[in-house]
Amino acid sequence: MKKLFNFIEDKLGYVLIIPALIFIFAFSIIPIAESLKYSFFDFQLNSQQKSGIYFTEHYNVTLATETFEYVDYYLDTELEVVEKSKTVEQIKTFRTEMISKEEEVLNLLETNEGIIQVSDSDLEFIHQMNKWVYDGLEKIYSNDEPFVLEEDIFLVASELDTSIIVPNFIGFDNFKHVFLDLRVRYALLITLIFTVASVSLELVLGLMVALIMNTAIKGRGMVRTLSLIPWAIPTSVAALIWAYLYNGSNGIVALLFEKMHFIGASTDLMLTANGALISIIIADVWKTTPYMALLLLAGLQIIPRNLYEASAIDGAGKIKSFFKITLPLLKPSILVALLFRTLDAFRIFDLIYVLTGGGPGGKTESISIYAYKMMFAQTRFGYGSALALGMAVVVALIAYFYIKVLEVELISD
Amino acid sequence: MKDTKKLFYIIVGLYLLIIFFPFFWVFITSFKPESEIWGSEALKVISSNATLDHYKALFKANIFNSLKNSFIIASFTTVYVTVLASLCAYSIARLKFWGKRLLLAAVLGTSMFPQMIVVGPIYRAFVGLGWINSYWITLPYSMITLPVAIYILVTHFTKIPKELEESGMIDGASKIRIFGEIILPLALPGIFTSAIITFIGVWNEFLLALTLNPNSSYHTATVAISFLRGQFTIFWGQVTAATVVVTIPTLIIVLVFQKQIISGLTSGAVKE
Repeated sequence: MKKLFNFIEDKLGYVLIIPALIFIFAFSIIPIAESLKYSFFDFQLNSQQKSGIYFTEHYNVTLATETFEYVDYYLDTELEVVEKSKTVEQIKTFRTEMISKEEEVLNLLETNEGIIQVSDSDLEFIHQMNKWVYDGLEKIYSNDEPFVLEEDIFLVASELDTSIIVPNFIGFDNFKHVFLDLRVRYALLITLIFTVASVSLELVLGLMVALIMNTAIKGRGMVRTLSLIPWAIPTSVAALIWAYLYNGSNGIVALLFEKMHFIGASTDLMLTANGALISIIIADVWKTTPYMALLLLAGLQIIPRNLYEASAIDGAGKIKSFFKITLPLLKPSILVALLFRTLDAFRIFDLIYVLTGGGPGGKTESISIYAYKMMFAQTRFGYGSALALGMAVVVALIAYFYIKVLEVELISD
Repeated sequence: MKDTKKLFYIIVGLYLLIIFFPFFWVFITSFKPESEIWGSEALKVISSNATLDHYKALFKANIFNSLKNSFIIASFTTVYVTVLASLCAYSIARLKFWGKRLLLAAVLGTSMFPQMIVVGPIYRAFVGLGWINSYWITLPYSMITLPVAIYILVTHFTKIPKELEESGMIDGASKIRIFGEIILPLALPGIFTSAIITFIGVWNEFLLALTLNPNSSYHTATVAISFLRGQFTIFWGQVTAATVVVTIPTLIIVLVFQKQIISGLTSGAVKE
C-alpha cells in the first residue's frame, strides 16, 4: 500500500493524465487512424464483397454454405415437377456430388462459417468448384422439362462468386476521386461562401454590439445574459425555429421578405439555391453574433480605461482612439474568436441538416453534409472518410494560418 | 453626446428584438389551433381560440422521453469528463512531466478535427459491440467535451497562487494531499464552470446522437425534435410546442449559471 502511494506520489504528473489520455486515444486518435485506413479502401457497408477491409483474397463461408443450401432446396422443389426419370437421376447425382464438394471445401478451409482469408490454391479450388456447379446446372436445365425455378436458381447460384472476396485496397483512388468529384467542388464552394459570409457578418455585428455594451449603458448585465440564449440553445432547435419562420406558406420572415421585395414570392426563400443559402447564413448569424459579441466584450473589458483618458487629453476623437487604441489591443481577442468561429463554420452540419437537408436539390450541401450522406445514406465509408480527411486538411490549414498570424502578433507586442 | 447614447439604446433594442422575436413567434404559435397557423390568420399575434392541444400531443411524440435521455446522457458525461479533465488539467498546469507539450498539442488538435472523421469508425465499433441505441454514447462524447474542459480548467488552475502549494510542501504534505486539500477546494468554481460548459455541449450535440442512437426510444432531444419535420406535412403547432419544451431546460441553465458560462466561454479567448 505504502509502495503504491509512493509510486503515485512520485509519478503524479503521469498518473493524473492517464485516464484522460485513455479516452483521447480510444475516441479520437484510434478512430482518426481507422478513418485514415478506410480512406484507402473501396469500403462499402451495404455491399457483400466490400463490407470489410481486405488486403488479400477472402472467402465468405457463411454466404457460400447458405447458397449451397438454397440451390439444394430449389433442386429438391424441381424434382417434384420434372417428368423424365433421366432428369430425376441427373438431379439426384448432382445434389450428392455438390454436397460432397461443399464438404471438401469446408474441410480444406477448416471452418463452416465466417469470412476467412484464403490461399491461392484454395481459391483455385473454389473457382473450379463454382464452375462445376454452374456447368452442372446448365446441363440440368438444358433438359426439356416444366422447370419452375430456372431463373431463381441461377440468380442464387451466382452468390457463389459473390462469396469470393477480392482485395478492396485501392490506394489513393478515393483521394483522386475527391479532387475530380464535381459535387465536392460545389460543396466546397458552398462551405466557403457560408464561412466567409457568416463569420465576417458575425464579426462586424458582434464588434458593434460589444462596443456598445462596453460603454456605460443601463441594463448591460441583462443584455449580456440574454445574449447567451441563442448560443446556448441546440443548433437543431434553432434550425427548426428558423424553418418555421422561413416556410413559404406561413413563415413570417418569408412573408416579410416578400413584402420588402427581397424575393419574388414567399415560397422562393427555401426553394431557390440562393434563397436557401442566405436563409442558412441569416440563421447562423442570428445564433452566433451574440456569442461573438460576448467574446469581444471580454477582450474590450481588459483594455485599461486610462489609455482612453490619456488619448482624450491629447485631443484624439472617439474614432481616432478606436483605431489607435481599441482595435490594436483587441486584435488578439478578435483573432482567437475568428479562429474558433471559422473552424466551426467550416465544419457546419447540424444547421444545414435540419434547416434544408442540403436542398433544394443538393444546392446547399456543405462538405460535412456531403460526407455524411456518402457514409450513412450510401454507406460508402471509404469515400466518406477520404472526404472527411480532406476537410481536416483544410481545417488544419485554416488553424495554421490563424496561429501564425497570432504568433506574429504576440511577438511584436 | 445625448444623441449617440440614444442611438446606442436604439441599436441595443433592435439587437434584443432580433434575438427575441423568433422565440416569441414560436411561443405564440404553439398555442394556436392548427387551423389558425395556416392561411389568413397566420400572422395574428394572439389567438382567440388558444389551445394546449399541441403540448398534449407531445406526450405521444416521445419528446419527454428524449428529454430524459438527453438528461441522463448529459449528466453522466458531465460527471466523468469533469473528473478526468480536472486531474489532467492540474497535471498540465502544475506538475512537471515529459511530453507535456505533445499532450497539449494532442488535446487542442483533436478539438479542431472535424467530428465527421471519427463518426464512421465509432459507428462501426458500436455496431460490433452491440452498443447502437444505448447510453454508451456517453463515452464518445468525451471526444468533443474533454479538450474544452481541459482547456478551461488549465486556465483556472494556473490562476491559483503557487505560494499555497509551496507552503503545503514546506509543511511536508504529499502532492496528493496538496491537490486534494488545497487545490481542489480553491478550483471548485472553475470545475463548476467546466461542468456547465460540458453539460451544454453534450445536451446540444447532434451528429453522434443521430448516428449512434437512431431508434426513437433512444433519441436525444436534439435528434427527436429534428424528426418532427415529417416527410410531407409539417404540423407546425406540434413543432413549435416541442421547441418551447426543449428550450426551457437551456433557458433555466443559462439564467441560473450565466456567470459560470460567461467565464467558461471567455477563458482562453482573452489574453490576460
